[in-house]
Amino acid sequence: MRRLLTNKLFVTVVSLLVILAVIILGSWPGSPLNSALKPVGAIVNPIQKLVKNTGNSISNFWAALTDGIAIRDENYQLRAEIAELQYQLTQREEAAIKYEELQEAFHIRETFSNYEIYAASVLSREADEWFSVIHVGIGNTDGVYLEQGHSFAVVDVRMNLIGRVIEVNEDVSDILLLIHEGFQVSGKVNAVNGATFTVLGDASLKQQGLCLVTGIDPDVIPSVGDEIVTSGDGGLFPQGIPIGVIESVDSSDELNITATLRPYSDISDLNDVFIMVPYDEYIEAAGADTSDETT
Amino acid sequence: MSILRLPGLTLLMRRPELIRKYLVYAVYLLLFSTLQVTFPGVISFYGIHADIMFVIVVLCSYMFGFYDGIVFGALAGIIRDYLSAPSLTGIDGTVTPAIGIGLFLMVAVAAIGSSFLTIRVKRNFLLAFLAVIVTTLLYKSIGHLVIFLWSNLVSGLSYNMSIEQMLQRSILPQTVLNLMASIPLYLLLRFMGPYKGGVNPSLIDEKRKEDRLWLTM
Repeated sequence: MRRLLTNKLFVTVVSLLVILAVIILGSWPGSPLNSALKPVGAIVNPIQKLVKNTGNSISNFWAALTDGIAIRDENYQLRAEIAELQYQLTQREEAAIKYEELQEAFHIRETFSNYEIYAASVLSREADEWFSVIHVGIGNTDGVYLEQGHSFAVVDVRMNLIGRVIEVNEDVSDILLLIHEGFQVSGKVNAVNGATFTVLGDASLKQQGLCLVTGIDPDVIPSVGDEIVTSGDGGLFPQGIPIGVIESVDSSDELNITATLRPYSDISDLNDVFIMVPYDEYIEAAGADTSDETT
Repeated sequence: MSILRLPGLTLLMRRPELIRKYLVYAVYLLLFSTLQVTFPGVISFYGIHADIMFVIVVLCSYMFGFYDGIVFGALAGIIRDYLSAPSLTGIDGTVTPAIGIGLFLMVAVAAIGSSFLTIRVKRNFLLAFLAVIVTTLLYKSIGHLVIFLWSNLVSGLSYNMSIEQMLQRSILPQTVLNLMASIPLYLLLRFMGPYKGGVNPSLIDEKRKEDRLWLTM
């Protein structure tokens, strides 16, 4: 036995078999192994935040040194813009009052008014092209709960689609980015009765930051430059979230017309994201919270 | 004072080289794991990032032997799984973060790295870089093959990368970037690593032919 334990081949094979068993058990829905990594977070999260903050401080300090002159020039421009915007604001205020009156009159719902929006900062990014799930600093403790088979849309500060939540843990959530394989969303051209199709992450395009568009009807082929938004089909994502623009169309095969889409959001430069939780799930979660407290 | 009588602690106090070893391993493990996922674009080309966690596991296992490599690799793999797990599309189409793949990868890489040509050739710095190249090529090639096979198994998934695209957009850039990252990491492990002089004394003590002395060059 002792001889076996010193045999490197034996140790390697046994270790890898045990890990394979862990992978298979972990992929089972609701497996307790999924929470096995919680203690790792207690050690790694503070260090990761420290590294992130240190990196940001160094980068900010460097930027402060190099951008001084540029900032001064920009400041003059911005002052002029502020004056212009101030003028526009007074005009918009009037328009807003009129809009509210119309909204009341026609019972128009705001686009995403039935979603609770949670802000979260990006903690970790992709380790490589396959280790691609990113971590954001929001979880059950912030009131976000994810049921099996459900998902929440994730958008950037300009409300452009970034990806979707695939797992929520105690204080962090995992997000699958829209350029990665496994991501799928029903999209449509942002026009009245715009053609619908499927936007998905593709292995051969993700390095270029692009998505693949499939399921295109040969009679309604999108054009280069068309804006694509979520169609709302399937129920996971609300309708009308901007995804990106069509960059190229390949209609050489009429039975399989595809296109490439360049997402609006800059995936490589994400710092903060926003998670859209439908109000019904938000209220259920809040209800669960209060019932937990009372019991 | 009773705590000082603990056998493990007294051993640590008597052996500062052990303290150095564990401290350096812990710092490098946490620092490089978090750096990898916090600022991945520091060494980047065509959307591919240098995988410093992977490189440091290969170098540690090659330079300091099987047991150091496999323990360091396992811990690095667990942290990798926690911070940035791969997404796995199940047979039923649900996408979940897969736990354990990082651990599997890093342990396998450490096992390969630690035994890389060490039976016939003494460990030397050129072979350390060659170990990084070979393990990266193996990882990327096997990875593409596994994903291709899995994509064919799961309906609704497609993996339409041609072999040329795999080489140009994934395997070769990753190999070059990992090789670039391995130069500073090698110097770090050699001169500010867990062992004084960049040599694991247990490798010198071992008389078994598969773990030969580190050849200083």
